[in-house]
Amino acid sequence: MSTKIIHAFYTDDDVLLSAVKQVREKRYHIEEVFTPFPVHGLEKAMGIADTRLAINAFLYGIVGLCVATAMMNYIMIEDWPQDIGGKPSFSYLENMPAFVPIMFELTVFFAAHLMVITFYMRSRLWPFKKAENPDVRTTDDHFLMEVDAHGADIDEATKFLYDTGAVEIKLIDKEEH
Amino acid sequence: MYKVTSKLKIVAFALMILGAVLTAVGFWQMPGSEEEVKEMLATEAAAHGGGHGAMEDNHSSAADDHAVSGHATSSDHHSEGHATNHEDEHAEHVYHQLSNKPWAAVYVAAFFFFMIGLGTLAFHAVQKAAQAGWSPVLFRVMEGISSYILPGGIIMFVLLLLSGFHINHLFVWMEEGIDVVGHENYDAIVAGKVGYLNVPFWLFRAGAFLVGWNLYRWNIRKFGLKQDEAKDGDIAWYKKGFKHSAMFLVFFIVTESIMSWDWIMSFDPHWFSTLFGWYVFASMFVSGITTIALITIFLKSKGYLEFVNDSHIHDLAKFMFGVSIFWTYLWFSQFMLIWYSNMPEEVTYFVTRIEDYNILFFGMVAINFLFPLLILMNSDFKRVNWFVVTAGLFIILGHYLDIYVMVMPATVGESWFIGFPEIGAFLFFAGLFILYVFNTISKAPLLAKGDPYLGESKHFHY
Amino acid sequence: MAHYEASIRRPLVTGDKTYSDVTRDIVAPVEGVANKQWWIVFTIALIAFLYGLGCITYTISTGIGVWGLNKTIGWAWDITNFVWWVGIGHAGTLISAVLLLFRQKWRMAINRSAEAMTIFSVIQAGLFPIIHMGRPWLAYWVLPIPNQFGSLWVNFNSPLLWDVFAISTYLSVSLVFWWTGLLPDFAMIRDRAITPFNKKIYGILSFGWSGRAKDWQRFEEVSLVLAGLATPLVLSVHTIVSFDFATSVIPGWHTTIFPPYFVAGAIFSGFAMVNTLLIIMRKVVSLENYITIQHIELMNIVIMITGSIVGVAYITELFVAWYSGVEYEQYAFLNRATGPYWWAYWAMMTCNVFSPQFMWFKKLRTSIMFSFAISIVVNIGMWFERFVIIVTSLHRDYLPSSWTMFSPTFVDIGIFIGTIGFFFVLFLLYSRTFPVIAQAEVKSILKTSGSKYKKLRENKMTSNAAGASSGDPIAHPNE
Repeated sequence: MSTKIIHAFYTDDDVLLSAVKQVREKRYHIEEVFTPFPVHGLEKAMGIADTRLAINAFLYGIVGLCVATAMMNYIMIEDWPQDIGGKPSFSYLENMPAFVPIMFELTVFFAAHLMVITFYMRSRLWPFKKAENPDVRTTDDHFLMEVDAHGADIDEATKFLYDTGAVEIKLIDKEEH
Repeated sequence: MYKVTSKLKIVAFALMILGAVLTAVGFWQMPGSEEEVKEMLATEAAAHGGGHGAMEDNHSSAADDHAVSGHATSSDHHSEGHATNHEDEHAEHVYHQLSNKPWAAVYVAAFFFFMIGLGTLAFHAVQKAAQAGWSPVLFRVMEGISSYILPGGIIMFVLLLLSGFHINHLFVWMEEGIDVVGHENYDAIVAGKVGYLNVPFWLFRAGAFLVGWNLYRWNIRKFGLKQDEAKDGDIAWYKKGFKHSAMFLVFFIVTESIMSWDWIMSFDPHWFSTLFGWYVFASMFVSGITTIALITIFLKSKGYLEFVNDSHIHDLAKFMFGVSIFWTYLWFSQFMLIWYSNMPEEVTYFVTRIEDYNILFFGMVAINFLFPLLILMNSDFKRVNWFVVTAGLFIILGHYLDIYVMVMPATVGESWFIGFPEIGAFLFFAGLFILYVFNTISKAPLLAKGDPYLGESKHFHY
Repeated sequence: MAHYEASIRRPLVTGDKTYSDVTRDIVAPVEGVANKQWWIVFTIALIAFLYGLGCITYTISTGIGVWGLNKTIGWAWDITNFVWWVGIGHAGTLISAVLLLFRQKWRMAINRSAEAMTIFSVIQAGLFPIIHMGRPWLAYWVLPIPNQFGSLWVNFNSPLLWDVFAISTYLSVSLVFWWTGLLPDFAMIRDRAITPFNKKIYGILSFGWSGRAKDWQRFEEVSLVLAGLATPLVLSVHTIVSFDFATSVIPGWHTTIFPPYFVAGAIFSGFAMVNTLLIIMRKVVSLENYITIQHIELMNIVIMITGSIVGVAYITELFVAWYSGVEYEQYAFLNRATGPYWWAYWAMMTCNVFSPQFMWFKKLRTSIMFSFAISIVVNIGMWFERFVIIVTSLHRDYLPSSWTMFSPTFVDIGIFIGTIGFFFVLFLLYSRTFPVIAQAEVKSILKTSGSKYKKLRENKMTSNAAGASSGDPIAHPNE
């Protein structure tokens, strides 16, 4: 089965933003919007849920902190305690000032890298991944709105989209997989 | 225009009166003579049974540390005569500490509120010099808070004068004969510093700095008000304010460090830390910013400052969060380096604090670091007034304690406890601060309408 | 009012640029061919790099003895160069992360190159400790890995080990921060590429970036969180470098102001290096409309501020050395200023404290030639600062019979020159193959701070576009 998708092109971020609002008011379904740069307020206008990457980063940071603590506690206190600089390694807490720098570094290391990896996985970004923007101009100065035309009157929809400020409109047959 | 309500005035006066009474009680409780202290110690020993013995143990272990390190902390006058005549020595020692206690309490509270004013002034100057676009809607609140450096500064100067004239004995290095070889008070290390640590020069510095800071404060307020009256497009007063702010910051970075050495670090005249000035600065900066947030939220809750939105509070909260972490960073840098090197002339400072002030010393680090970190980390919480106020109150309390553990170990030593004079002085200066600050805020429109960045600030949305 | 900006702010993008102008201008150096100057500079840098490589090979095959180190001065040029390069590496993250948190829009034009500079200079820095090991193939011994010697672990109480963690975290986090920001810009080059080879390469580099709304939302969140993590990270790195010295009990090294003062010094030298690089680059690849005089002026102001902070720290150290009453401290500082290395001390003072004060004058800080000169002077001064701290503190031992002087050998000098060559080789290659300006981010501030849109706004014409584009002829839908 094939579905019809309308590609509406815009050349201005403010026009795009108001178009998104109008299209949603008209109850058309916006599949996707491709933009060359982050448009402030677009995700709100499209009704995209907040991303939880920051919370992920916080949790990853806690993991890093625990790893650092466990590692240094094992190596410095349990496995081979030494007396360094007149500070015998009897307890982790008493020697903690010397361990704080690496506790901090590993917290950041884990939080940053795992968050970025999560981001790459969630947004499906990795080397040799094929780009999925339908038109090359969307990385230059065009903004592309993909509207689901399934079951809608194409002519009416096209006219409406031009009215919202679209500069070009394409109708795409998309094979459903 | 904001008008100080009579309710606020009553609260402020009540705080001042209550505070003054409690402080007076503190002074009245001050032991009259060494005999009184001896009696007191005796009854205490009787009441606690073994309590006194334990305290002595504690005490002697501290003294041992000092013996190892080869230095006595400034408050320990007695380590040489430790074995002989212990009772008398101890009583004399406690007598000195207890006589210092109310004075030190007043000093800590007076400095703390003065520091809030000065920190706010520095923040205001930074905003001006950085041409920040978000903050002009808060300028009048900042000007209100920083106005406190006039009365607060005068009070600080009077306190310094009283110490200089030996009305109290907070500063050990002022003792008679400290630089006279052979005198019973002779101290070779302090004697090496008299070129810098002497009362006239010390008072002169304090006076010069206070005048300089107040001059800038007076000017920047005047320029702001004049700019409001200026014609459209005429920003001459704004430009003048910009230049003065840049110059002030240069003056401030130097004088603030020296002030911290003079007014706080010299309580422990043997001890030194190059970082100390910047550490005190972080404390004053975060207290100032927190006070801006608290007063802004208060005024907003009363229906004023309608042009201040969530995003402004959010930004203030970010500063509270960021500067709290910066403060912790400086605290850790200073502590860790001294702990790690373990050099006797430096480490005594932390030894006394860890032994005699353990809970306060580490507690205030936890309050100043963990609370802002956990409460204000989440972006959404920074927009919820209730969270910001909670974090703010912790920060204010934490930094009061920070100043407390800077001052007390050298003046009151192990005889500390938070009693009438500490609470009283805090309340008194809080009342005075509220009264003066809100009075200044009521003197001018709450919107600095002439500021060229006001448009950005009003439309500020993050 | 979404794009409002106070009218007294000067535009950050001049030359009335539109979105596609930005694309074209930034992609131009990548699509064009290198000119003669580029090849000349590249050849010189390459020769310097190869010479340095030769000196490194000589050092490793013969031993550390070929350096000028001696029994008293066990650390000299190697660690000086290490700290110098790490310091330079600080402005990148500062411009990217700290200025992002402070919403400074002027960062957009310079953050990409500054981050590149960070990565390239941290690579140079990392070389020195590894070479100094003498047996660099055993460098992995610094990692806490189980080994055949039983419970022989690395020492977590040692600031040198903290450095291992700090520098590697810094390098790797800076790298992903840089690369994540590069994805949309690589995608832009990919989508414009004509030759299949370019399309393939930039396709791989861009990780298949498509620019969906959700991707951008995540992208912005990740940037912000990375900035929030990188800001304390950048502080921690130079703090830990300063701990290498300050945890010791050597007079002149053990002082508590070291952490923030090293950080300020690092930012100071880093901004100077950014200025050096960008003043050349904006000319060579014609980006004067993006890296404007205003950008240079703002960087000069940062240089002036951090230079003054460093100056205050110098004076604080000097004063507290006297105030402390500790005779070793007093001697260490007296010796710095008046001893046999007085010239290094005063070179440092002149370059770092006095020269940035010229930036108080608007005429001077908006002069390109003068800014360039000062940026070089500052970098020389910051090299001397590390030299002064390290060598003057060591060369007067507690034991006067060990007192000595340090003189570098040709190998010391050669390796240093080699790293400068290596750095420029990397930077020059970068400037021809990478988008040197974060074009997506510049586009996002174009309406606020671009001269075209600022003029439109000031002429009371709404840049609100429903009107602006409705008059354009509309193509028919191609069904």
